[in-house]
Amino acid sequence: MLASIRNATKIYGQHKALNDVTFELAEGEVHCLVGENGAGKSTLMKILSGAITPDAGTIVLGGTEYRGLTPRQAIELGVATVYQEPELIESLTVADNIYLGDEKSAAFPLVVDTRTQNARARNLVRSLQFNLNEEALVEDLSSAQKQMLQIVKARYRESKIIIMDEPTSSFGLEETNALMNLIRILKAKGIGVIYISHFLEQIFEIGDRITILKDGESMGTFPRSDVDMDTVIRKMVGRDASLFYAKEDVTPGPVQLELRRLSRRGVVEDVSFEVRAGEIFGLGGLVGSGRSELVNLIFGADRRDSGEILIRGRPVRIRNPYDAVEAGMCLITEDRKKLAMFTPRSVAENISIVHNERYEPPVLNLASERRRVRDMVRRLSIAVTDQDEQTIAELSGGNQQKAVIGRWLLSDGLIYIFDEPTKGVDVGARAEIFRIMVELAKAGKSIIMVSSDMPELISMSDRIGVMRGGRLTHVLGRREVTEETLIKYFIGL
Amino acid sequence: MRRTVSIFREQWFFLLIVEVALAVVTGLINPRFFGLNNIENILEQVSVLGLVASGATLLMISGNFDISVGANIGMSACVMAIMIKAGYGYVPSVAAGISVATFNAFFVGVCSILFKAPSFIISLACIGIFRGIALAFTKGVLQLIYGNFEFLGTKRFFNIIPLMFIISLAGFLIVHFILKYTKVGRRAFAIGSNAQATYLAGIPINLNKLIFFIINGLLVGIAATLLLSRIGAAQPSTGSGIELQAIGAVVIGGTPMTGGRGKIIGTFFGVLLTGIISNALNMLQVNPYFQDVAIGALIIVSLAVSAFSQRGQRA
Repeated sequence: MLASIRNATKIYGQHKALNDVTFELAEGEVHCLVGENGAGKSTLMKILSGAITPDAGTIVLGGTEYRGLTPRQAIELGVATVYQEPELIESLTVADNIYLGDEKSAAFPLVVDTRTQNARARNLVRSLQFNLNEEALVEDLSSAQKQMLQIVKARYRESKIIIMDEPTSSFGLEETNALMNLIRILKAKGIGVIYISHFLEQIFEIGDRITILKDGESMGTFPRSDVDMDTVIRKMVGRDASLFYAKEDVTPGPVQLELRRLSRRGVVEDVSFEVRAGEIFGLGGLVGSGRSELVNLIFGADRRDSGEILIRGRPVRIRNPYDAVEAGMCLITEDRKKLAMFTPRSVAENISIVHNERYEPPVLNLASERRRVRDMVRRLSIAVTDQDEQTIAELSGGNQQKAVIGRWLLSDGLIYIFDEPTKGVDVGARAEIFRIMVELAKAGKSIIMVSSDMPELISMSDRIGVMRGGRLTHVLGRREVTEETLIKYFIGL
Repeated sequence: MRRTVSIFREQWFFLLIVEVALAVVTGLINPRFFGLNNIENILEQVSVLGLVASGATLLMISGNFDISVGANIGMSACVMAIMIKAGYGYVPSVAAGISVATFNAFFVGVCSILFKAPSFIISLACIGIFRGIALAFTKGVLQLIYGNFEFLGTKRFFNIIPLMFIISLAGFLIVHFILKYTKVGRRAFAIGSNAQATYLAGIPINLNKLIFFIINGLLVGIAATLLLSRIGAAQPSTGSGIELQAIGAVVIGGTPMTGGRGKIIGTFFGVLLTGIISNALNMLQVNPYFQDVAIGALIIVSLAVSAFSQRGQRA
């Protein structure tokens, strides 16, 4: 065995990102790791690359057992990670990047022997049957070439284990084939490759063994010949019924929001759909499929290149979030800390900001504001001891999220966009957020919900739109979806 | 878990204690410190700084800086002095001076928005522009208006309370009102703590930034008027250095450089503390050069205090 991770557990707050997972990698093996967004693949790999330390479990590398690794230790023990966003110096050449931190000296000390470096780099690149000019500047390379360069670097450092996390997400067919070839060469040299991908075809093409993760737990490791794609997919999903929420049915009213051919070059392409009053429209897809980008376009946070937005049949001009809010839109963002919270400000200020902007005169009436906030705190049962003194940062994640939602409830909009509404909140708050969403639907609001949480998406949505590669590929009725069909659509099978 | 909200958690309360202690010690060594004359003197000294620091508080809470206020005061005071000398009358001259100051601050804000540069750097560049313009139209000559336009700088109510100090106090109160009771104040806190989130809440950032700069310009213009009346002369270098004193006073008063937080009462006591320290060092006949050293050390100490108290909170 090149490496093994034994019984690894990692807990963030109340959330078990990994639960008792065991994973092994043999010499010359391509071991694939599959699972949904947030299944724990990246967490598991971060343990191996030393980015995080497991709360329980051990790592065995080179015959020695470790409780946790530092990034430096991991590199010295031969673990290399190929990132989607390569850590390369753009303004240096390919050869310089390979030798970065380990430059060869010429006759004079401190002077780099570029000639020798270039010659050796050329040999190294050739030995991997990889077409790359060693004197090219990294900034001129394509993103596929940059990823390949990272693999060359790993070879130079004589890494024995190479982790590839979604390497082909931005690749064309030719580039993917080149990578598959390269992986075969690495395999032949006895190197172990851990290959994470949503592209099951690639996994079945190149993988020796497949480990499936679901919600932080291992669903088993299988030799490629023992499983087929359907089995793998079934094991990726298929959750306990208790995770599903029995949403109250709300009879939808007339169409309230209509999107016509919304596009932003390279991000979102030609998306049209409509949402009725009282309807929850779920948006699913893999990370990077363009869901959050789409809601940013709707809300005016990013500029769209073309397309039209209609509210109650009338075209609305939305150039920025101000216009969106005026048109009755509300956006509960995914990244609470970065995009929604005023961390050093009180819970009251955080809740009342949008309402104040829209409905209050320039000079505020603090007494009525206090009353408004108190009512909202009670309505959402936000656990806060002193709404005027306690800052929002002091609340728990669930209560922070409820406070942010409260801000938009006070603004009394027409269209509510929830981007990952229950991310990082506890089970209790989750149920309450669902209750609020149903309440909004009953009040005739239109809701768009982006979610990576499959049970949430299936139980809360009246219809589900599937995004892949910036396009809305399918719109499915609630009764016609299962986790399996959805994940197939996400992956594009 | 009931939180006790007490004044002991407030930075201004500590400043008050330090100020009282400093006054008592100085007064014991040199009883003249407590003379009515000296106290009036301190109040007059801090008046101009107070107005500038009030504006700086609003700006810093919103995450902005204007370090051109000193040069702005110089230019605006020169405009007023030249006009008064030319016989335009006080009201038009003062109106023109305050307009100049407001426009200058507006200019800093506009450039910062248009060129997407931090206001700190833009205002740094504007120091040269404002002072250069002032030099151009004064031709470097000191503009004397002695015996003219003394009312604002010398008037004392009941022969005790300087008018200047009342005006300065009004500046503090106005900024306090803005911060506590108005939408503009809420926006300043919001933008200072998270500009991106403010934008996504549908609040126009740039428009509000301009409002903050205009308010700051108005306060700076009034400060220039008071300063001119008090010293009876203006030159391009008038007011230079006050920007750092003002930022210092704001920081001493507990408003962090990162914005999103702060109270005007802290700035008030911060301004007062710098005034008392300079005066006390004078009274104790310390070499005036050390006044700058003392103020500088004070700023570092207050930064250290807030760093440690924040560390305590996090734990």
